[in-house]
Amino acid sequence: MSESPSEASGSSSDASGGPRASPDATAPTDPAGGSGTAARDRLASLTARIDGTLASVVFASLAVVGVGGLIQVSFGTYSMTVFEAWRAVVDPAVWSHPGLLGEFFLGETLGGLLAAQFGWATEVELAHPTLIVWTVRLPRVLVAVLVGANLAISGAIFQAVTRNELASPYILGVSSGAGLAILLTLVVFSGMSAFLPIFAALGGTVAFLIVYAIAWKGGTSPVRLVLAGVIVGTVFQSLQTGLFFFADDLGVVQSAIAWTTGSLTGTDWEQVRLALPWTVIALGFALAGSRQLNVLLLGERTARSLGMSVERVRFALSGVAILAAAAAIAVAGIVGFVGLIVPHVVRTLVGSDYRRLVVGCAFVGPALLVGADVGARLAMDPVQIPVGIVTGLVGGPYFLYLMRRQDDLGDL
Amino acid sequence: MSGTHSDADTDEANGASADANGATDGDADALHAEDLALGYPSTDEPVVETDRVDVPAGEVTALVGPNGSGKSTLLKAMAKQLDPDAGRVVLDGENVANYGTKEFAREVGLLSQENDAPGSATVEDLVYHGRYPHRSFFGAVTGADDAAVDRAIDLAGIDHLRDAPVSDLSGGQKQLAWIAMTLAQDTDVLLLDEPTTYLDLHHQLRVMEVVRELNEEADVTVAVVLHDIAQAARFADNIIAMRDGEVYDWGPPRTVVTEALLADVFDVVASVDADAPDGPTVHPHHPVR
Repeated sequence: MSESPSEASGSSSDASGGPRASPDATAPTDPAGGSGTAARDRLASLTARIDGTLASVVFASLAVVGVGGLIQVSFGTYSMTVFEAWRAVVDPAVWSHPGLLGEFFLGETLGGLLAAQFGWATEVELAHPTLIVWTVRLPRVLVAVLVGANLAISGAIFQAVTRNELASPYILGVSSGAGLAILLTLVVFSGMSAFLPIFAALGGTVAFLIVYAIAWKGGTSPVRLVLAGVIVGTVFQSLQTGLFFFADDLGVVQSAIAWTTGSLTGTDWEQVRLALPWTVIALGFALAGSRQLNVLLLGERTARSLGMSVERVRFALSGVAILAAAAAIAVAGIVGFVGLIVPHVVRTLVGSDYRRLVVGCAFVGPALLVGADVGARLAMDPVQIPVGIVTGLVGGPYFLYLMRRQDDLGDL
Repeated sequence: MSGTHSDADTDEANGASADANGATDGDADALHAEDLALGYPSTDEPVVETDRVDVPAGEVTALVGPNGSGKSTLLKAMAKQLDPDAGRVVLDGENVANYGTKEFAREVGLLSQENDAPGSATVEDLVYHGRYPHRSFFGAVTGADDAAVDRAIDLAGIDHLRDAPVSDLSGGQKQLAWIAMTLAQDTDVLLLDEPTTYLDLHHQLRVMEVVRELNEEADVTVAVVLHDIAQAARFADNIIAMRDGEVYDWGPPRTVVTEALLADVFDVVASVDADAPDGPTVHPHHPVR
């Protein structure tokens, strides 16, 4: 499923890139008339050119997600060829039954209700490969897509809000807050481990609020926020590490490590359903707020003199970023580096304009995470390593490369 | 208009000017400050204390004074960027504290002393940000926005730099781009904090010419902090000279810029040619010792 809409939207964005590229070609041949229209033509050609880059970024990301996803669904105890996997993904037996899709994406209760309402069949006889791909392997790819998009967008927002190139979704204490909540749930309140995803997301959010409250003194500033984030993070991190001592069995420790480094092992449709609505909301707000992010990048003073209520906008945008990060944490734990690196990669490709940056992040994030998860699941087969370890292994060297290459690392 | 009048008077004046909306030519001043005391959280004593400061409508007013005399602080308070400890700043008869942030940004534009050039944004991108106070949260670009941006770029004389990334420009070109952004705000009052400092002579004159042109052709009221008293004497209609957080003197350059002022305020022994055709000319000789 991940492939076919991907391919579809890929070709459609390609198609829309085509006509948009054509004014680019005709604009220079246009005789420069009035200065206003000439300027508008130049603007149009510029927009077309930049959107061309963005379109290729989107297309390349979709290709990575497609290939990675196909590899992911074809390997496992029941092995099939990539071609078989593809056939299972696009199996008309699934796509022609909205009732079945409804049950996957909305859950048995809501989807079943909808199916009953419209008289859709939900009991469908599926071929064995189709059944394995759709019920076991595909959800993991979808969760990777959602987590990647959320972390990338969250990181991009935090980099603008804190005006700090090193900012990630976890800069304002979120990871340590979530980590502490995870450890508390697993070690102290083990009876409530069913609510672990919710507690993790809540822990991150609470830590963020504490950071904001500490940084607030008649207003905040990027530096105060980052410093408060580091301090709260250190305290929570210590508490979290301390709790490891009280974990009395290896299973609990391994589970805690999987959660605190980020893992997609065992993710199911339930995780897709948990993350999907929040992802859509966060993405929508991030796109709507991209112009605010651009103005925020001009500096607090300028933003204020342009009439922005800087504190309100900063808090609201942080809230959107926290929502995205919390959605990712709830289904995959604390996956590192994606939120730090993806915005940088996208920025070097499409520029620092957030209207393009957010769109780019929504595609490159999934590409990185789907790709990394292929490594996490198959590199040391049959042992699955947490995907956060792979993103760290890929991300660390990339970050060093970035430091080497860029003199002006402080510039956004 | 005296500095002290009843609240009722103020409200009426406010209502009248709100109706006229922008036609402030008749008023004596566009912006004035009353009994201001200004400080920062880190200071106990106020940095600036003034009785009354006027920025006359349709004129160019220069704030001059040595480093630390409080001229930038005063400008910040007039730009609603710094809340006064006491007193108030009045725009068109209304206390600026009563304006919404966007509403105020449609009336008064401010160019700060230092500005961060954002990544790969082009001059045009930057100038479009000047339309921020005119757009709603989800608002799309309108024809009025396009027209204001074209006009601002044209006024600043940087049409040839329109598609250039701001980070690639020279210091002087950058400043003109930032001024264009502020012009796109399309305000009746423009406040500039040391717009010519650090610029080469060519760009200093370009900046001051843009300011002058804007004032003469669009009747925009300008208050500008200047480091260079000679420049202030040449370009401004009024000069506010500040010393130690207080207004030392106020008036047209020919009456304010004197040898006594240069000695008292700037600690400089200088001769002033008050009858020069371009305004009083200052010839500094040596520091007061």
